Amino acid sequence: MSTGSLDVVVAGAGRVGLRTVRILREYGHSVTVVERDRDRCEEISDEYLATIVEGDATHPDTLRQANLDDADVLAALTGNQGANLGICVAGTRIAEGELRTVARIEDEGAESYREIVDDVVFPEELGAVGAANAAIGGDVRAFEEVAGDLRLLEVRVQEGAPAAGKTLSSVSLPRGSLVVSDEVADGIPRPEMELRPGHTYIIAAEPAVADEVLNLMQG
Amino acid sequence: MVGMGAMIGAGIFVLTGLAAEIAGPAAILVFGLNGVVTTFTALSYAELASAIPQSGGGYAFVKEVFAPASSFVMGWMLWFAYTIAGALYAIGFASNFVEFLSLFGVHVPETARLLGVTIPVAEIGFAVGIVGLLAALNAVSTSASGGAETAVTLVKIAILLVFAGFGAFAAEPGEFTPFFPAGELSVVPAMGLTFIAFEGYDLIATVTEEVENPRKNIPRAIFLSLAATIVIYLLVVYVAIGTLGAERLGAAGETAIAQAAESFMPAVPLLGSGASLIAFGAVFSTVSALNAVVLASSRVAFAMGRERQLPPDFGRLHSKYGTPFRAVLVSAGIMAVSVVGLPIQQVGNLSSLFFLLSFVVVNASVIRLRRERPNVTRPFEIPLYPAPPVLGILLNLVIAGYFLVTDPVTWGLAVAWLAFGGGVYLFLERRKDQL
Repeated sequence: MSTGSLDVVVAGAGRVGLRTVRILREYGHSVTVVERDRDRCEEISDEYLATIVEGDATHPDTLRQANLDDADVLAALTGNQGANLGICVAGTRIAEGELRTVARIEDEGAESYREIVDDVVFPEELGAVGAANAAIGGDVRAFEEVAGDLRLLEVRVQEGAPAAGKTLSSVSLPRGSLVVSDEVADGIPRPEMELRPGHTYIIAAEPAVADEVLNLMQG
Repeated sequence: MVGMGAMIGAGIFVLTGLAAEIAGPAAILVFGLNGVVTTFTALSYAELASAIPQSGGGYAFVKEVFAPASSFVMGWMLWFAYTIAGALYAIGFASNFVEFLSLFGVHVPETARLLGVTIPVAEIGFAVGIVGLLAALNAVSTSASGGAETAVTLVKIAILLVFAGFGAFAAEPGEFTPFFPAGELSVVPAMGLTFIAFEGYDLIATVTEEVENPRKNIPRAIFLSLAATIVIYLLVVYVAIGTLGAERLGAAGETAIAQAAESFMPAVPLLGSGASLIAFGAVFSTVSALNAVVLASSRVAFAMGRERQLPPDFGRLHSKYGTPFRAVLVSAGIMAVSVVGLPIQQVGNLSSLFFLLSFVVVNASVIRLRRERPNVTRPFEIPLYPAPPVLGILLNLVIAGYFLVTDPVTWGLAVAWLAFGGGVYLFLERRKDQL
């Protein structure tokens, strides 16, 4: 991770894919979308989020146009598990360089798919956590569930990043962001706390400044 | 507005005199033809900006379309083009500032002799000073740049229209004969020199993410600012030549517009003579253009650092100021060195040459993207494709190639900078492999 900005190809910009693209853009990565549906393409184009290849990602000629040679990650997020695995396999073959692959799956047999792809996502699981939280209605909420206009990020400070080794008081984090806690979560950080490389911190950030925060923490 | 901000003003104030010196009254043709040539490239920018939603201008587009080595070359050229343009505006600022002061009776000792060579100390001092000042502002604050841009641009346009308005009565068509005192071909090198006056729409493309409904508005902004720029330029050049005459205009060099204004502007309350208003406009425009290119050049370097095509330090924000600190300082450093080391024509030529070459690559990107990735959504498509990008490439190459004849030193410097870039690229690639 954290080699500056990533080039991500997202195959399938449905409900999951589109939200993923938005979040990736907030973090300052560049995204190419492959999407079959023309109206959907128009919508993304209006939002000015990504370069769009209109077509079926399971077709190699279409997938090739997503410029996989220069991409770092391919995330297949269509609603069809078989298609997603197929896209990842095809993508790995097409790409000349190294390509991380992520597939959206439909059931919980996650581990066995890791032989084929680098990572899997199971959006329904996250959705279920949120649904359960809402049903209980308590004040305790899962991390992933912080939606709305605030992002909670778990960020590992990289060696040599601008903020590495600095104290909180000497780093000016962008307006709209706040270091909430150290990894060990033993209290609210004081201004003199040092941001130590290799340590993970929890940071609350508004979407507009998320990329600046990541730049300071990870370089 | 940012694009127009950089494009309008500084270019015309600084370059009209230099163009007149080379081509005589045909300078007006020079600006007109340059407008035509850039229109082709503007079309390419509009198509790419609508298809590739990245801020970062030409560099971002080429990165999307070509392999990393080519995008490095593009970034490297564009970065240099902006920094050298900065040097041009800094020199332009300095001479106009001296002119402005002298209108108020303040005379600075213009030259000094050092080791037997006459050096315009005051001008170099002012030029380096303004680069340092703006670099410092941009290095410690992210708000130095945005915000006032629209107002600044409107002020500049207003001043130029005042100039054109009063001058239109004073201009004499007789000054336009003979039209080609230096021969028809002298138009080409003058086009090369003044090409930089039209570089603004790359800037529009660098800030695309901050515009509302960019898909529709970016192409519109590119064409509107180009059209407005061409019209205003032609008016101003017509007036300048019509009042002062090409010869005296050429002799006045980068303060030509201000000097032309002295000949016809009526007295204005508070300021004394109307000419000081125009001289103020020149000073003001060059500062705002310089600010825009300090910002633009550091953004290109920052983007390259983020992509690991420059040392990663360039792609990092400063922990205290939140600005691309290293990128700003190095860009300003190159500007300052060029100000001290190169004569103004050389600076103009060099910057134009690099813009010409990078525009060739941008036009080629359109063609390659269409060929290899036909399914990419293009909200704006170039009419009459493929003629405009092909013409754009050819015409840009002709103008760039002509420098070989008129100014081989510029090409020498350009090749040296590219060779240096090649070394940097190989070094960074090797270091990447070791990691």
